[in-house]
Amino acid sequence: MENVIECINLTHYYGKRKIYENLSFSVPKGRILGLLGKNGTGKTTTINLLSGYLQPRSGECRIFGQNVQTMDPALRKQIGLLIENHVQYQFMNIEQIERFYARFYPGQWRKEAYYELMKKLKVAPGQRISRMSNGQRSQVALGLLLAQNPELLILDDFSVGLDPGYRRLFVEYLRDWAHSEGKTVFLTSHIIQDLERLVDDCIIMDYGSILMQCPLNHINDGFHRFHCQLPERLSDVPAPLLNDKQFYHPALSLTGELELYSFLEKDEVEHRLQAMNIPHGPLSIDNLDLEDAFIGLTGKY
Amino acid sequence: MFYKEWIKTRWALLFILIVTCGYVGYELLNFLRAIGAMGGAHIWIAMITKDEPMFVRHLQYLPMVAGIALACVQFFPEMYHKCLKLTLHLPCSHLRMMFQMLGFGLCALLVCFGLNYLILWLTMRSSLAPELYGKMLLVALPWYLAGFAAYLLSAWIILEGSWARRIFNLVVMFLCLKVFYLSSFPDAYVPFLPCLIVFVLACVLLPWISIDRFKKGIE
Repeated sequence: MENVIECINLTHYYGKRKIYENLSFSVPKGRILGLLGKNGTGKTTTINLLSGYLQPRSGECRIFGQNVQTMDPALRKQIGLLIENHVQYQFMNIEQIERFYARFYPGQWRKEAYYELMKKLKVAPGQRISRMSNGQRSQVALGLLLAQNPELLILDDFSVGLDPGYRRLFVEYLRDWAHSEGKTVFLTSHIIQDLERLVDDCIIMDYGSILMQCPLNHINDGFHRFHCQLPERLSDVPAPLLNDKQFYHPALSLTGELELYSFLEKDEVEHRLQAMNIPHGPLSIDNLDLEDAFIGLTGKY
Repeated sequence: MFYKEWIKTRWALLFILIVTCGYVGYELLNFLRAIGAMGGAHIWIAMITKDEPMFVRHLQYLPMVAGIALACVQFFPEMYHKCLKLTLHLPCSHLRMMFQMLGFGLCALLVCFGLNYLILWLTMRSSLAPELYGKMLLVALPWYLAGFAAYLLSAWIILEGSWARRIFNLVVMFLCLKVFYLSSFPDAYVPFLPCLIVFVLACVLLPWISIDRFKKGIE
């Protein structure tokens, strides 16, 4: 499948602090990919590198096959960018901002898509964006992106500052638009439930590297939480469990319950615990939503 | 791009136009009142013997303030929540967009300062000999060039992302602008005017340094 985004061996530092080293990933055409990671793992850094507002120490980002640092300006017509906090020109109103952008996208601008969304906002056409709520501003930003009708959308933390109603509206509009027109979307969000409704694939970032990149259903169907009671009171998680790469973040509760996360089947987990000589009570398995799976993969702290 | 700049600055431009023209008008009223009170001949003699820029002296910092004010109105909104990213994401060459933004500001100042000069010229030519009012207009020219330079240097500072660098730029701006105010002696700047004009033109490139640093994420 053709890749719309390709990041190859990205290394970036802020001063002496390493954000990541030799990070590589790609986003295939027509997929919605969500970037998940704890605070400080480099999500916004990645968006900034992709949109060309940050120069990596080494490596390169390519969009539609062109390096973002030296990209042909005309190619930006096919890239929609949503900046964190849905930033737009505060000094313009709904009509002025549409008129301004329309001139840059002749032949592809869909005025009606913008005004269709604007009808849902209870604001006067002459109201300035600076006087709008976060939710209203997010709809203006989304409306402009839909009107631009780009092949690729890059969204930085689109759910920040939005109430559940606006978040849902944003997600549904975006998902319908992307799927019906075969568009590619690369996004980050702190609200994992939103990503679960929206994305096809996800990249989970840990400090300094990518933990995994896979289709969402691979996590939903295959990743589970297992727990069982240990008969002996242990002060620490048994060392063999910590060393087994198939188990994510095994932990002991105060009551002596062992909790661990894994992509393994229940029988295989059982088998491994026995092989490690860890006596335990009956093993329970929980299905996880994406947020729990994210915690399981990255740890609570 | 001009449309965006116009929406952003139109009220500020009107304000700057009214204030600068109003101030010039106020100074000219003083001039006309002095002519009425003391007679034209007395003023002529005073201007020739004192050899200093009577009546226009109070205008010297006005264009500089106007230039700084316009740069603030035009470029602070671009840096608010890093809105400049939106501008730089438009499908045009970054250099071209920067020149369009600066071109708009320079044209607006040109109209404003041109109107100031026109008012000065029309009023003075009715009461003064061409040599006298020519000298006064020439004295004011470096101050108006300082207005353009102040605009460009302010844009350079505002578009800069790093505070430490902004302070450094501010010091450079202060020193550069000082060159325009070394003397208010008539004809003092005449041989130096072409250099000042070249300096102002060269300042057009300075905001590009800030934009380039912004693109590299230097804060």
